[in-house]
Amino acid sequence: MANKNGSIYGLTLLCPILNDENASPSHDLQIREYLSELTADSQSPFAVAPGTHLARLVVMDDVVYVGMPACEEHLKSKYLVLESNFDGDLDDYLVGLATTIPEHLDAIWGHCNGYPGSSDKAKFVQYMKDCQLETTFLFAAVNDKTVTQTLAALQTQRAVAHFVAEHQGADSAKIQRDFIEFLKILDAIPPSKPAMNAQPRNIKTGGRNE
Amino acid sequence: MSKLNPADLQGFVLRGYNMPFARYCFLHFESPKRTRELLGRLLSMVTTGQLWDEKPKSAVSIAFTFQGLAALHLPLATLNTFPVEFQEGMKARGRILGDTGVNSAEHWDDLWREGSVHAWLGINGRSLEDVTTQFEAISTLMTETGGARCLGIQDAASLFEDGAFNAKEHFGYTDGFGNPDYVDICRKAQNGQGKLDKDGNWTPLATGELLLGYADEAGELPVAPVPHLLASNGTFMVYRKLHQNVGTFRAFLNKWSSLYGAGDDLAKEKLASKFIGRWRNGTPIESSPDAPDPDILQRPDKSTNFKYGSDPTGARCPLGAHIRRVHPRDSFGFDGRLINRRRISRRGLPYGHLAAAEDPSTPEEAAQWDAVDRGVIFMALNANLARQFEFVQQQWIAYGNDAHLGNEKDLLMGSHGEGEKFVVQGDANASNPPFVCSSLPNFVELRGGDYFFVPSITAIGMIAKELVDPR
Repeated sequence: MANKNGSIYGLTLLCPILNDENASPSHDLQIREYLSELTADSQSPFAVAPGTHLARLVVMDDVVYVGMPACEEHLKSKYLVLESNFDGDLDDYLVGLATTIPEHLDAIWGHCNGYPGSSDKAKFVQYMKDCQLETTFLFAAVNDKTVTQTLAALQTQRAVAHFVAEHQGADSAKIQRDFIEFLKILDAIPPSKPAMNAQPRNIKTGGRNE
Repeated sequence: MSKLNPADLQGFVLRGYNMPFARYCFLHFESPKRTRELLGRLLSMVTTGQLWDEKPKSAVSIAFTFQGLAALHLPLATLNTFPVEFQEGMKARGRILGDTGVNSAEHWDDLWREGSVHAWLGINGRSLEDVTTQFEAISTLMTETGGARCLGIQDAASLFEDGAFNAKEHFGYTDGFGNPDYVDICRKAQNGQGKLDKDGNWTPLATGELLLGYADEAGELPVAPVPHLLASNGTFMVYRKLHQNVGTFRAFLNKWSSLYGAGDDLAKEKLASKFIGRWRNGTPIESSPDAPDPDILQRPDKSTNFKYGSDPTGARCPLGAHIRRVHPRDSFGFDGRLINRRRISRRGLPYGHLAAAEDPSTPEEAAQWDAVDRGVIFMALNANLARQFEFVQQQWIAYGNDAHLGNEKDLLMGSHGEGEKFVVQGDANASNPPFVCSSLPNFVELRGGDYFFVPSITAIGMIAKELVDPR
């Protein structure tokens, strides 16, 4: 089914950017400027808002003319593209965004045509849905687990691997005793927060065939 | 399909010479005119890929860094067409390659820190005397022409043990099994060395995975400099001087093998085999998981002919074993097609003296062993440094996601920080237990190296005669 893969939703939005000749810098440049300052770490808007596995915001200027025999075509507008893979249903997700990161949404989408703002949630959700395209490919690395489940599983995996390494060759009774204790500690550990490994992004592979 | 002309290739691109001695000389050019004269006179000494009736006493090869080609004043329109990673050189690619910590450039030998190496000149020989004779002849030529100054030399040699040369490296593993077969490269094809077809049979890789100017596995010509004639029949070489901490390795193996299985000598050898994926005599553990098998080793067809498809959990060969990481064969499914563009050909030899058979008895002694100058000269050939060598190094040595191992690095080759581990998956069998080695030290340390362009015989002649014309 389009847009859904198990419990994961794939959202693609194309929102037309305001074309105001008097705006300086132009609205697309203002969006670019804002996006370039966003972090990918735990302070990323998509880490603060719940449920996002992976999200990407792109300013699409135009289609690129690649020469003959393609015919030269242009978009009617510049677009802001949002691609997001998240848990649950679209309405809940959009309301979640509007509730947790309204200032980011308004700062970015405020440069788009017809954006009603995030304070009226019903209008906001309707606007986003009006800009939605059908999504048929989801991010491959997202399996059918929620963000929270995935983070908890990784945390458990790391902790168990550490426990195994620490207890290798130990007496069975001690392993059992420590494991019961370990499970209590593991249960009590707060789940880790979503974030991308925020390394500098200027990696150049140089591989022209890639 | 283009027909291969072995007479136009440098011989060592086609095959490892299997000569026990080598000297690698690192040259610096000072005058393009005099260097061209030197190259013109060297040309007849460079060993080509033609089959020989009688094996020569020595063989000569040459390759250039980007700085070297620039120092030769190749036209800018040609220089700019070399791939970016080659133009940048290996030092600048350190972050991509995971050459961090003790492997970072500040710890390299002086020779490699300065970026003044313009060319690599390799002499392989049947004896040390054969190597030095050839070296003296070339040194004379360099002096006569004033075409190059030798900044340093690196001697390398097969290890000599029990009265014979062998194919081992300093940790005791028999090395050098994994070179791919390519279409038309004159070696006899060997099962396990090429790529898998959809029926599960092995066939040679496209020539363009090794040589510029030939179609590669995508059916395209590899990215190559212009003019075509300069690039064709050439390739790119990675040179890495890898210091081996033999004291650390021996102590690590002793420490962990005492806790592994029965903790006896067989358990020690078995754990050592799990690190690499081969018993130390070279037997692949995928084919012979319980003991080394001399019969497999004596049959080239068997020593490389195996797959991992029936061992998805790593019970026989751990998912993180070195040879499974760097040549995953069918591990990733899709009949092995995901790895066909990530293969490299290895050349190179150990350097330094063989360590004593008895292990160091104290940590201090182990540290003294580590300080001894020995290791392997890793040389790899491929048509595309970024797609082949760098990918293998970045994704399969310095990272573990493709092997379902998260952030884990290759045990022996990885640049380890704190808290890293190596997992032997094992099974329910008492002699093959699951096992974790933690607190990984750095077994291997990079001491320098660079990326080189290995031109064809024609291309060396073009450079020597100043005939490189990009138009």
